[in-house]
Amino acid sequence: MLAEYQMSSNLATSVSIYRTFCRFVFIVCLSLLSSTANAIEIDELIRHIDELWRGNTSHATMTMSVKTQRYQRSMTMEAWSRGKDYSLVLIREPIKDRGIATLKVVENIWNYLPKINRVTKVPSSMMSGSWMGSHFTNDDLIKESSFQDDYTSSITFEGERNGRDIYEITSLPKMDAAVVWGKVVMLIEQDTLAPYKAVYYDEEGLLMRTMTFDQTQKIGDRTIPMRMSLQPEDKPDESTVIVYQSIVFDIALEDDFFSLQSLRQRR
Amino acid sequence: MSALHALAVFNRLPILLFMAWRNIWRNPVRSALTISALAGGLVMVILYSTLLEGMTRQMVKFATEISTGHIQVQRQAFIDDQDLYATLPWSYLQTLEQQFPNIHITPRLYSAALASAENTSTGVLIKAVDAQREAAVTQMLSHVRRGELNLAVAETLDDGLIRYNVVIGAQLAKNMNLEPGSELVLVTQAADGSIGNALYRIAAILKPLEPSFDRMGVLMSIEAYQQLMYLQDGFHELSIKLDDATSLEDVQAALDTKLKLIMTSQSLDALGGVPVVRNWRQITPAIADMLELSKTMNFIIGFIVVGLASMGMLNTMLMAIHERRHEFGVLLAVGMKRRWLLLMVLFESFFLALVSAFVGSFIGIIFAAYFEDHGIDFSASMPDGYDWAGMVFEPVMKGYLEPAHVVNACVLMIFVTLFASLIPSWRIARLKPVEVM
Repeated sequence: MLAEYQMSSNLATSVSIYRTFCRFVFIVCLSLLSSTANAIEIDELIRHIDELWRGNTSHATMTMSVKTQRYQRSMTMEAWSRGKDYSLVLIREPIKDRGIATLKVVENIWNYLPKINRVTKVPSSMMSGSWMGSHFTNDDLIKESSFQDDYTSSITFEGERNGRDIYEITSLPKMDAAVVWGKVVMLIEQDTLAPYKAVYYDEEGLLMRTMTFDQTQKIGDRTIPMRMSLQPEDKPDESTVIVYQSIVFDIALEDDFFSLQSLRQRR
Repeated sequence: MSALHALAVFNRLPILLFMAWRNIWRNPVRSALTISALAGGLVMVILYSTLLEGMTRQMVKFATEISTGHIQVQRQAFIDDQDLYATLPWSYLQTLEQQFPNIHITPRLYSAALASAENTSTGVLIKAVDAQREAAVTQMLSHVRRGELNLAVAETLDDGLIRYNVVIGAQLAKNMNLEPGSELVLVTQAADGSIGNALYRIAAILKPLEPSFDRMGVLMSIEAYQQLMYLQDGFHELSIKLDDATSLEDVQAALDTKLKLIMTSQSLDALGGVPVVRNWRQITPAIADMLELSKTMNFIIGFIVVGLASMGMLNTMLMAIHERRHEFGVLLAVGMKRRWLLLMVLFESFFLALVSAFVGSFIGIIFAAYFEDHGIDFSASMPDGYDWAGMVFEPVMKGYLEPAHVVNACVLMIFVTLFASLIPSWRIARLKPVEVM
């Protein structure tokens, strides 16, 4: 339209303008095309990683070992999830903490404490606090579900590194997103699409923590790392390791499974 | 010759003083104006220093008596980042109490926690105290707004669960909608890594004392803390009150030496760091700096006020002397020595200053005494007091009349006045009798 108008109004300059315009359209189309192709792939990858341990619904048993300078303890937990918004974690061992449950519904976290038979909500001001004494924060539970909304991811490396073919995904926070990390780099094996390392940086670009994934197992059609180790950078002697004993996907869960009532009932 | 000369001055001193005194009252209106200017300045200086001294004393009182104490002992890691594990063993407290029978010592423990009530939850800071020892060191426990102070067991539930009483800050109570008698749930990470959780009963709500406690403080007994946190073997902080605050530095040094000695026999783990003994000035440097600043400010402002008053004095004296040039000329002509004339004018200024000092300090003391008794009451607009330099002040700003300040102000004024009158006196010394007559 614009080109037509300009051609009819001024024949003298129309040829050169038309040429420039065509070149511009071509470049735009080209870049759009290439970025769309890339975007689909990265979205798929991110979604794959996101749903790896989750499926539509899931039921897992896992052991979390926390090692700090002062103590070392391990907890056995049972966890259920539906989609990215609902999850319930129940502590089985040790006896002292047995029955303590954490319910996550969208952006809210509640803890059920069987000893005193009370449900407490974790306020937003405590989100950066430690979850169950581990090196994970409450925020890690929440932000996991909004990672795609808060970060822009792109494949920054594709090919062989240290003898294996990998994808390197770099995620940078969006302008107005309230996030903890300044940059997250995730390394994924190309053939299995299983992640093996995630590195977290703060806003100044300083390395804050490293998460490594290993002991992969093929469950259904996906390859899942059964062990996650979290290593905070400022405390080299400390770590949190989560090992999945079992994980089952697409199980039937009642509608009110992820509710405060069921949180209280499940002793 | 010089002895005779000196004698001559002394012989003439009474007559000079007499003349100076009479000269002042020859023109009572002029003198009264000068005196009122000087006395007014003095009243201002006295009132100003009374209020400032009152505030200073209130600050020191709040800085030490409310919750800090004169001296605190903590381990380095606790000072740095409130490390839960940076405790000192209970045996340290016993040893210190035996070694220092004349000071009051109270142990404290701290921890961050999540407090939940009916519909709200928020992050809080638990402070555990020994109620009896605490009362001997600070007034923290006596500032109850509502309820009754009680940190004992509230009740034992059917299944053997114990509910302890706790005391919370006023702002926290307001934010969480809590009243004395309400139930509070505390969830925290205990020292062994487990999830510490327990039920509590709010026994009382404290008046605002320090902004951080007011917003997020939960006060409990040491037994309650130990049951929640599984942290039995030590305390985080010792707060110490001295009966005689002037021996602060000495006691601090003695405590430091003693602690180093105890450390050699009962060693501490490396992670928590060494015990550090700090006085309240080091703990709350903002307040200590403020006190230093206010002392300097008092002097500077006093100097400015007196300086302005003496400008008036200088003006009056210059005018008076200009008016009396004729008279001085006559005196010189009949043979009065110039230096005696100069001395006489200086005496006049001195008398003026002296009268002003009496009048000024009299009025000043009356006003100051009023401020000391009644203070300036802001409680209508600020019922909870005001928050300054990290402390909450009472809404009534009370003065404190320090006699030394009145004397200082008077001496300062007399000196400045005499200095100011040197200029007109200097002009008299150069007077030519023939010209002025």
